[in-house]
Amino acid sequence: MLFDALLGLLLLGLAWLLLSCRDLFKAIVLFVAFGLLMAIVWVRLDAPDVALAEVAIGAGLTGALLMSALAKLPVDNPPGRYSNEKTHWLLPLTLALMLLLVASGLGYALWSLPVIAPGLSGEVAANLEQSGVSNPVTAVLLNFRGYDTLLEIVVLLLALLGVWSLNSLDATPATAEKPANLVLDTLMRLLVPLLILVAAYLLWAGANSPGGAFQAGAVLAAAGVLLLLAGWRLPTALAGLPLRLALVAGPVAFITLAALTLLNARLLELPVEHAGMLILLLETFAMFSIGVTLAALFLGQRPQERGGSA
Amino acid sequence: MILHSETPWPALLILLPLAAAMLSFLFPRSAKFTGVVTAIIIALAVVGFGWHLQSEGVYRHAVGGWGAPLGIDLYGDGLTLLMLAVTALVGLAITLYSLDYFNTEQARWFWPLWLLLWAALNALFLSADIFNLYITLELMGMAAVALVALKGGRDALNGAMRYLLATLLGSLAYLFGVVLLYHGYGTVDIALLAERIDHQPVAWAALGLMGAGLLLKTALFPLHFWLPAAHASAPAPVSALLSALVVKASFYIFLRLWFALFAPLGGEVAWLLGLLGALAILWGSWQALRQTRLKLLVAYSTVAQLGYLFVAFPLAAVAGVVLWHGVIYLLISHALAKAAMFMAAGNLLRFGGHDRIVDLNRSVQQLPLSTAAFALAGVSIMGLPPSGGFIGKWLLLEAALQQGQWALAAVMIVGGLLAAAYIFKVLGYAFTPSTSREESIPIPATMAWAPLLLAFASILLGFLAPALFSLLDIGSPFERGAGS
Repeated sequence: MLFDALLGLLLLGLAWLLLSCRDLFKAIVLFVAFGLLMAIVWVRLDAPDVALAEVAIGAGLTGALLMSALAKLPVDNPPGRYSNEKTHWLLPLTLALMLLLVASGLGYALWSLPVIAPGLSGEVAANLEQSGVSNPVTAVLLNFRGYDTLLEIVVLLLALLGVWSLNSLDATPATAEKPANLVLDTLMRLLVPLLILVAAYLLWAGANSPGGAFQAGAVLAAAGVLLLLAGWRLPTALAGLPLRLALVAGPVAFITLAALTLLNARLLELPVEHAGMLILLLETFAMFSIGVTLAALFLGQRPQERGGSA
Repeated sequence: MILHSETPWPALLILLPLAAAMLSFLFPRSAKFTGVVTAIIIALAVVGFGWHLQSEGVYRHAVGGWGAPLGIDLYGDGLTLLMLAVTALVGLAITLYSLDYFNTEQARWFWPLWLLLWAALNALFLSADIFNLYITLELMGMAAVALVALKGGRDALNGAMRYLLATLLGSLAYLFGVVLLYHGYGTVDIALLAERIDHQPVAWAALGLMGAGLLLKTALFPLHFWLPAAHASAPAPVSALLSALVVKASFYIFLRLWFALFAPLGGEVAWLLGLLGALAILWGSWQALRQTRLKLLVAYSTVAQLGYLFVAFPLAAVAGVVLWHGVIYLLISHALAKAAMFMAAGNLLRFGGHDRIVDLNRSVQQLPLSTAAFALAGVSIMGLPPSGGFIGKWLLLEAALQQGQWALAAVMIVGGLLAAAYIFKVLGYAFTPSTSREESIPIPATMAWAPLLLAFASILLGFLAPALFSLLDIGSPFERGAGS
């Protein structure tokens, strides 16, 4: 109880520090710390799957993405620039009052909710046998609500498409290759195989314990980020169609499966006896694509293709 | 065998554009071909789905075989069909128009983004699940933002950024409402929620959050602040699909939720919506009249025309189903006319290299087809007979007069007059002599004809009322909220 209260206060404090921080670099570090603390909260709430996702994506990868974005910002952006702008005191006051009103209304609504929610965990448990996996979260994501996941995986690809379409606007040359750093290089050689192993484990474990394609994909992406940091770049021969194939492998596997199930007249109905195998197959493709997509997002720029049509 | 009633048309409508988006991303060189073929098959699939609805009645499909509340259901009725059909029609025109619009680099991104947006729209119209709707909103919003930014340059990026923030805020508010409803009632299926929802603070909070989020996405006054910049700075086909389809999609969700969940709760909310709608008509039309740039004028006209959709809410308690048919009519004819208008404006802009209204005379005189498209679409926007816009506005006006809501009726009439003023402000230049002798870029035939055909369709719609009204009666969602 005391621990939870302390955790909640720390979370609030970190959020306040993060928002009021003028230095963007510091704010990102605080954001990562916030994500790690949040993961502990998820563990306390008995949601280890969410905790894993929070650490891998919320804290780890988002932090890396924010850092990569910060590095691309122009340097001549003095901190505290906004503090000089004069705003009339009435505007913040009105906004604060309105927000307070909304927050208290929401607080009242939350307060009135039943403590024990009439959720669907009973239904999920009752149908778990039919789903092909024994981890209820995986069963919901890949089977009961697999259609949602199909669209979500496409959203991730869409995000990358958006970033790449922006990049083609101004063809700034790729940043100069950094000289090889011995420590980073050695670390990378040790860590990347380990990360790939962890990703494979998370993927496999997802069938019956916390884990799954998203977490595994994020770990895979972390390996990619490390490689990129160490100065590795995709060979130009692979940057065209092969890279695009890797990016769409997950969505295409999902769409293909959906189309095949249509032959049986029901969208995404997995036959019970093959469901476990099909889910593992889908997750493998999805993990691969998620990893490549997240790493590509970190790089930001579309890798140089052979023939120079970047 | 093709038209066998078991053919899963709705699933095809979702999977086909998704698959086509992947193909066009993998093979950019054949993206145009992929796009055209997809657009044609989607149109056929909508016809097939209509056939199915006519013979079998309301469509419900449990994805994965689980069924609500555990799984996700697809749902389709007459309203779904009309939205899918409008999307298919406008989508086909936009596809044809876009064949020659973009340069190679832009086309590389336009086709996958547009096909993904199309998939999101179809999935949205077919969903019966509020969480699944959230994902379709996310897919639609992200694709739309990327498409706005496609043009590049300060204005487009600025507009896209504002649009991104607005649409994300709207999505988050909506998601918060979904979480509350799930926690309170233990399901995210709309039909089940409709049975379980009651007068509880959590239902009110959900109504507030989801409503605010969706209205922000629909750009109801005063939440329209992001729309003019985004719609005016985007490439012409993108402006067309944003104004014609994307804002209508969030309105569609709002309408569905209103009838299924919130109408019993919100008597006073209906008046608030009506008031905001009336203000939107006046403010949007006035701003449109004041613009000096053509695309901004058309964008503000969208703000005004969206207002008409909300004026109906306070009138509905008495007027009932006919009024909602009018709203849907207005929605459809605005979709067709506004898409035509933005594409025609795109032609004028491309031909003359600018869209300053006072200097348009030469472009207007050299592009008879695009000018005709603009004028015909204008007829529908103004609400003159025999256009589709006339039917919709007439039904609304009639309801307001019958109920003695003189203020609302006056606003609608003033809105019509202002619309006439801003459209003639543009067309007036067709009749003044031109003096400038600038270089001009020729317009390909598809780009000239696509908007004209859509504008014709928006006029023709005026003659199709009985047929479309009977389609809307298939599992009419309006019965529930009408009488109460």
